[in-house]
Amino acid sequence: MAKYVLKRLMMAVLVLFGVVTIVFIIMRAFSSDPAASVLGQHATAESMAAWRASYGLDKPLWEQYVSYLAGLLHGDLGYSYYDHTSVAGQIMGRFPATIELAVCAILIAGVFGIALGVAAAVHKRSFWDYFSTVVSLVGVSMPVFWLGILLIILFAGSLHVLPSTGRIDPMLQPVGGTGFYLLDTLLSGDFEAFGNALAHMILPSVTLAMYSLAIICRMTRSSMLDTLDEDYVRTARAKGVRRRRVQTHHALRNAMLPVTTVIGLELGSLLGGAMLTETIFAWPGIGKLAVDAIQQSDYPVVQGVVLLIGVIYVLMNIVVDVVYAYLDPRITYTKEEG
Amino acid sequence: MGLMNSSKTGTLSSRELSRRTFVKAMGAIAAAAPVALNLAGCGSQRASEAGSSGTSGSDSGTLTFGQSSEPASLDPALIQDGASSNVTNQIYETLVRFDEDSSDVQPWLAEKYEISEDGLTYTFHLREGVKFHDGTDFNAEAVKRSIDRQLEPNRTEDMPYASFNFGSEDSGTGVASIECPDDYTVVFTLCASSTPFIKNLAMQLSSPIVSPSALDEYDNDLTENPVGTGPFTFRSWDHDQSIVLDANEDYWNDDAAPKVDTIVFRFISETASRVTALGNGECDVIEGVDMSTADQVKSAGKEILTTEGMNINYVVLRTDQGPMMDVEARRAVRQAIDVDALVDALYGDYATVANSFMPVWMAPYDKDVEQLAYDPDAAAATFKELGITELTMLTYSSQRNYNPAGGQELAESIQGYLSDAGVKLTINSYDWTTYLDRNTVEDWDLCATGWIGDNGDPDNFMNLFSDTDPSINMSRFANDDYTALIQKGTQTPDGDERDDIYLQCEKMIADQVPAVVICHTQTLDGYDSSVKGLVRPMVGTFYLSEVSKG
Repeated sequence: MAKYVLKRLMMAVLVLFGVVTIVFIIMRAFSSDPAASVLGQHATAESMAAWRASYGLDKPLWEQYVSYLAGLLHGDLGYSYYDHTSVAGQIMGRFPATIELAVCAILIAGVFGIALGVAAAVHKRSFWDYFSTVVSLVGVSMPVFWLGILLIILFAGSLHVLPSTGRIDPMLQPVGGTGFYLLDTLLSGDFEAFGNALAHMILPSVTLAMYSLAIICRMTRSSMLDTLDEDYVRTARAKGVRRRRVQTHHALRNAMLPVTTVIGLELGSLLGGAMLTETIFAWPGIGKLAVDAIQQSDYPVVQGVVLLIGVIYVLMNIVVDVVYAYLDPRITYTKEEG
Repeated sequence: MGLMNSSKTGTLSSRELSRRTFVKAMGAIAAAAPVALNLAGCGSQRASEAGSSGTSGSDSGTLTFGQSSEPASLDPALIQDGASSNVTNQIYETLVRFDEDSSDVQPWLAEKYEISEDGLTYTFHLREGVKFHDGTDFNAEAVKRSIDRQLEPNRTEDMPYASFNFGSEDSGTGVASIECPDDYTVVFTLCASSTPFIKNLAMQLSSPIVSPSALDEYDNDLTENPVGTGPFTFRSWDHDQSIVLDANEDYWNDDAAPKVDTIVFRFISETASRVTALGNGECDVIEGVDMSTADQVKSAGKEILTTEGMNINYVVLRTDQGPMMDVEARRAVRQAIDVDALVDALYGDYATVANSFMPVWMAPYDKDVEQLAYDPDAAAATFKELGITELTMLTYSSQRNYNPAGGQELAESIQGYLSDAGVKLTINSYDWTTYLDRNTVEDWDLCATGWIGDNGDPDNFMNLFSDTDPSINMSRFANDDYTALIQKGTQTPDGDERDDIYLQCEKMIADQVPAVVICHTQTLDGYDSSVKGLVRPMVGTFYLSEVSKG
């Protein structure tokens, strides 16, 4: 297993190198000039040329690339053209917000998706089965930006029961800590702030969870149906094991293997930054950071975020494969000897 | 077992649901849902009167201001955007300040000032007893430090307004030296006389005075450590979320002392989300309301603040190449467009038809400038005579402050008018940053553009047509008489003579038509009725120390 993981990590380096190169070329070759965006309406050809020169953007593309790679090897992701702060600092400052949102979303998607999927499988052709089908179809079909705005208008604009945007009331913001507001406020015993952070979390996490919930629900249903047809399940029933125990102890545990894979991959996808959700809810994560940077042609920030997303995807894939192998002893990634 | 048996025989058990029944049930729910939601909405509106969703917006000592983007910096030397100046305008102050209802300036950190007869020397007598937020004294040395760092050779490429405000060696304009004959007197000597200079010193970009101690402590960059003399002090900045300012209890001006304890700036980029935040009580004031959301703000029971903009929405015509080199062709384009009807259709009550390049409130002498009247027949005849059957227009795809309907919509309207006059207009539309790239390198005959005034001075608008840089003078209009008028205008003191110079400029633009002026757009902000004293100045952004709640 260790050899397998090492091999995957080495391949990951190659993948990330490719990602960095492609994004570098795309941003510089096809993106618009950041000088005009930074310098505003008084930007002249001369001032823009001087600005570009000060950031090395007047050098040949290969020279800029080598310089960027050299910085990467030293852990330097560069500085934002827009506000001159360190890219690494910006990403690390915003990543906890994305992690917190992604974890809450995957919890919602996992809990409700699995529950609904199990109910649909166990009560085939019942209300729950059809309901799960509708939920799954709606979840994968509904545009997330539409759902998000709809929820804001309904729960914040009409019903006034939830806040519309942001992570927490600025006056309740925790100072210091891990950057995970739910955790920080709970650990510090500031329950008013905890409640406020939780209220702010509801709409964006539900919005973000819908697609994953749909996938997890269908995968759970499908996997449970397959497992319920297995011989050992029939044997358990024949032995007189109670129905609930058959469903949970025998069927569900085995049906969870592919579902675990899906949950892991979905989490990786969510950690990559839910750009639309974060923009609509003004959620200060790396997704919104990427959207703002793209609009401003802020090359270093875009490159930094894309690199982080690449790392997340690659690592999550490796983790999921390893976990799957541990959960299912039939799975092996090493060649058999002899 | 029962389930498996029933599915095998094809009949339904008591717990199974037929597809038909399920579809009927879903249809009934879908029909009932809007009714249920409406009833729920009514109920919650009554309930919500008892309180909001419990955010800072409901606290009478805290004013929450929602804006569309985060500041790039809180150092006035490094900013060029409204998002930044909304915040910095509460922290820093300038030697002179714009009146709220005009582009005139009044002394502020300077008690009084004198301008020499030749317009080269500006002497400011500073207010005594004023301190920066870090306790440093405000004095002549602080003024000199604030400006010196933006003069060549100290100036860096990241200071977007340094050249505009304080000139440059290349242009032979701007500040030649700054002297401090005593602690409370500052003398600026200019390279050449410049009537707009006093207004440049009132601008919220580049000109505010910063603490010299803070410059030393933070290595000349106050992006995240702003220290000024203003009515509010900086407390915290949580990136991509909020900036919090506190009332300055030691503020020097009792008449303009803050009326709230705290201001919270929140960054909400989506307009719909920002409007909902206002309606939900999470924000007390929001900026960036456009025509399409103004009605939503009002229907949420909130108010709209309407301010005449210092802007011009216009279409430039390429005077150095192509069919628009001929002034008769340009006049025909003007005649082909019914600007009154276009403005009414695209902007409704939220814009004023432009009869001049400058807004009339800024340049009252412009009220008698006459543009060519709408005359499609004459336009068609001219196009035919000149053999013009096709033209190309470059535009931006998004909305702009001066064009809330969007560049594509404006271009399509013009396309319709030109089509009626027998000319096919091809539209090339790009996103904003790509448009900025393309408009200096691509061939076009017409180009949608706009201008937002900086300092309320007529030169700021009219010199657009005399600049030699094509990214500024997009029409490439080159007229020696016009250029001479512009140069004379910058050196003529304010008064009737100067007004007449710019009136001549406007008439020349109306006659030569390097641009078709469309409209001046209003600026819309939304606010809760509990907010009192909210006024958007005609030049610059809000002074929130005048605002109270409750």
